[in-house]
Amino acid sequence: MPVFDVLSSGQLLFAALVTGSLYALVALGLNLVYGTMRMLNVAHGDLVMLGAYAGYWAFSIAGISPLVAAPAVAGLGALLGYALYKGLFRRLLAVAPADAGRMEGNSLLLFFGLSIILQNAAAMLFTPNNRAYQYLDEVWRVGNVAMTGNRIAALVVAGATCIGVALFLGRSMAGLAMRSVIERREAAYIVGVDVDRVQWSSFALGFASAALAGVLMSMLEQFSPFSGFPFTIAGFIVIILGGLGNVMAGLVAALLLGVIETYGVALTSANLRSVLLYGCFVGALLLFPNGLLARRSTRK
Amino acid sequence: MKSPTSNRRLVMSGIAALAVMATVPAALAQADKPIRIGYSMARTGMLANATPSQSNTYELWKEQVNARGGMVVGGQKRKVEFVTYDDQSKPEQAVRIYEKLITDDKVDLLLAPWGTPFQIAIAPVLEKFKFPMVGNTAASVALRQVKPGYIWFPTSAIPDRIGVELTAMLKANNVKTAVVIANVLPFTKEIKNYLEPELKKAGIEVKFSTEYPPDIKDMTSILTQVKQANPDAVLALAYPGDSVLYAKQAKELGLSSPVQFIAIGPSDAFFAKAVGAASAEDVITIAHWSPRPEWKGSQAFHDAYVKKFGEDPDYLNSALAWMSLEILESAVAKGGLDKSKIREVISKDTFETINGPVRFDGVQNAITPTAFVQTQKGKLQIVWPKSIATGQYEAKKSW
Amino acid sequence: MNNLWGDRAWLAAVTIGVIAMSALPFVANDYLVGTGLTLLMWLALTQSWCVLSKMTGYVSLGHVVFYGLGAYLMVVTWQQLPFVVVILAAGVLAALFAALVGLPVLRVRGPYFVILTFGLAELVKFSIMAAESASGTASRILFGTPDLVVVYFSMFALALLATGLLTWVSRSRFGHGLRSLRENEEAAETLGVPVVRFKLIAFVLSAAIPGMVGAVMALRSTYFVVGGVFDPMISITVIAMAILGGGDNAKGPVLGVVFLFLIQELLWANAPLLYMIILGAILITFVLLLPNGLVGLAGARTRRREARAVEARP
Repeated sequence: MPVFDVLSSGQLLFAALVTGSLYALVALGLNLVYGTMRMLNVAHGDLVMLGAYAGYWAFSIAGISPLVAAPAVAGLGALLGYALYKGLFRRLLAVAPADAGRMEGNSLLLFFGLSIILQNAAAMLFTPNNRAYQYLDEVWRVGNVAMTGNRIAALVVAGATCIGVALFLGRSMAGLAMRSVIERREAAYIVGVDVDRVQWSSFALGFASAALAGVLMSMLEQFSPFSGFPFTIAGFIVIILGGLGNVMAGLVAALLLGVIETYGVALTSANLRSVLLYGCFVGALLLFPNGLLARRSTRK
Repeated sequence: MKSPTSNRRLVMSGIAALAVMATVPAALAQADKPIRIGYSMARTGMLANATPSQSNTYELWKEQVNARGGMVVGGQKRKVEFVTYDDQSKPEQAVRIYEKLITDDKVDLLLAPWGTPFQIAIAPVLEKFKFPMVGNTAASVALRQVKPGYIWFPTSAIPDRIGVELTAMLKANNVKTAVVIANVLPFTKEIKNYLEPELKKAGIEVKFSTEYPPDIKDMTSILTQVKQANPDAVLALAYPGDSVLYAKQAKELGLSSPVQFIAIGPSDAFFAKAVGAASAEDVITIAHWSPRPEWKGSQAFHDAYVKKFGEDPDYLNSALAWMSLEILESAVAKGGLDKSKIREVISKDTFETINGPVRFDGVQNAITPTAFVQTQKGKLQIVWPKSIATGQYEAKKSW
Repeated sequence: MNNLWGDRAWLAAVTIGVIAMSALPFVANDYLVGTGLTLLMWLALTQSWCVLSKMTGYVSLGHVVFYGLGAYLMVVTWQQLPFVVVILAAGVLAALFAALVGLPVLRVRGPYFVILTFGLAELVKFSIMAAESASGTASRILFGTPDLVVVYFSMFALALLATGLLTWVSRSRFGHGLRSLRENEEAAETLGVPVVRFKLIAFVLSAAIPGMVGAVMALRSTYFVVGGVFDPMISITVIAMAILGGGDNAKGPVLGVVFLFLIQELLWANAPLLYMIILGAILITFVLLLPNGLVGLAGARTRRREARAVEARP
């Protein structure tokens, strides 16, 4: 496609924003969990999958609009996060081996075990069949940009949530406490932050945003018990690219990925879509080993 | 008091009676012993959402066969029992499972796993142990390189034939320009390799052609260019995962070409559920079956599937699975459980199936034509070739 | 150091294992030989992974990239070269690739390194996919692959090689250097350990064997799909086996591989979905109860025995 056409295309902009905002929402939760607990939640995509099922059931069985059900589903996600934190992850932190390398490996394994359980329990309970439904699928045209209603809704909800959480982290006392634990946990203890409370609330918030992303996804895509992994991958690419624990940078990185997915393909070829994405990721990380917008402080 | 001779006679006849009674249960037990049929199926992993169309069909068949009293083997009816394992969507695992089924579980018969990579991967195992198996949901020109004798493929959806027939169908409907977009995965890539030269030969201009990786999440860039090209026909060589994505984004961008073809996806009832009846309407896809009065049992199969599973069978995969079962059943009725006899019967005979007559020439089906179906008023109708058509091609008005 | 239970019992177990595995193809049916082959494959992959990730603490989530490169080489050169040559060449190819990307890649640390290696494997996967499709290739099939026994003994050799490599590395001065940089890279460097060079060597060493393993396994499944040989699950499973085993020498992976493998074999033949759930539960339990893996468990028992021996003395 000619460069000027690409850059001025409103259609591509819309697609980039929708893709980017959903990546951002998924990455948000992942960043919060990692930021406070230093654990790589490889089950994150499966939480998105569960959220998708919740949205699907709400709509197909109860006739409730997924947008209306979304807060409730997010709430359930938060509850699950809280329960898992108290029941499982606190123990992990307690037995955490001293060196970071083993902690890395151990947490990978723990969350991987969780992922297996979630996927296969879902397959057993819900059957492995694909699920999808139509909601808000009328197409709106503004100028020469066509937008499906559910994609606009997803963009708005995901965008609002990300901005909301960013404001929360930046402005509110609770948010600042969370950020302090993310940046320097030991120091947070010293200044009297209730670290345990921050940890479970960031867990809950992380799981809630994953569940919310799932509900939004259920409007847009088909899903099945094993379709969570791509979301986990996307989430990790984003948070590493932005810099771990840096929520704002994560949002930027997510938009960047959305841009590559749309504009990058338009300027080169669809065949190179994944090569571009991973190539940019690897290239960026080799140049910026702590992420694109990493803070100077390294905490190990 | 009875004489010793009559006592002895009484005892002897008693023993004789007992002996006869002992053998009768044994003879009955021989008939009662179920036939064990083994197969592997992906129940976990990335393909788990695709295999139900096939495993459901297997289950339906077993139910029907056992309701009839069992499979006919050497004049007797014996019930059918399945021995099945999860291959976790990995062909290497399927190889191990079939080795286990043959050498460890020692099953009587085998059914095919789902998909081309799996059926090709186990072909050497079947050959090594001289165990015949009727394939089904496998389609690739590479199938012709598989040594004939222990595996057969009833499908007519072979990519080079698809290229020829699709072009012929387009030509017959006055298509002058086309766009081809293809997933790089084997089946769709193969189709593209054969389709484009055919289109060129037929004088149909390919205005835009591209490929994309299987993990694509957004097709806006591709479809914007497709829309700009404004062709008569859009040939989306997509797999089930991206066919839904394609349809939704085609709707968003408002692709208005009258001929809309999606390679894999719409033959499954799920497609219409995912994109909505209006979007699914008039989309053409690959399948060579639809209930036809000329094909004995086709309507019965369709209705039985709907009754048991609450949705239409997959017109491609479920039909193929059922055909392979019919062929196996006929072969066993004729040749018993002797593997070399079964092999001979399958290689030589012509079988009557729900898809009409089937006969194998080497590994391939020599009779069933390569065909395409189109969703019309929510039902899939065969629109090409005319010889087996159940409906007339109509242009797609909108998404 | 687990010295009591350690070396003698270990040596005996290894000898028995080697003898048993050598005899397997001659006494067992194809299914069991295939099972043994898979066990040896995981052993080779996990041992080689540990050479880098356990010794240096740089946890790689992209180990499958070497495997995939080896498999691809085998498929691309099929029937043009004797397969033994290709297997060796696959090891060289993988090692060269590691040498090429090692320096910049190893500058990245911690969880960044984890996801970077994952991204690298995916990048190679999709690049090969794009190259294949650009050349018009849809799929590749290998006809006329060697017999299972040949494949089996090739893998046996690789498993022995991998175990030997890890044993040598963990006992050498090189290994000590790796451990020192795992504990504190900056301090090690200050003390004169050539950190950058050592990391790179470990990386390259860890790459050669999975390359060869990939080439051998390509002979097994005949139908080659790019996505299948670059499957991230392979990388994840290797990590799981290594963590379950624990430790940073050759003992851990053997325990981890055998343990996970046994569980899988016992369970998968039965209820497919339930087995996976049980597996997930076992993994979680392990991490919580045995953060030092099976080796740690054996070590703890040794320590308790020693403690009791000390107490028993008058």
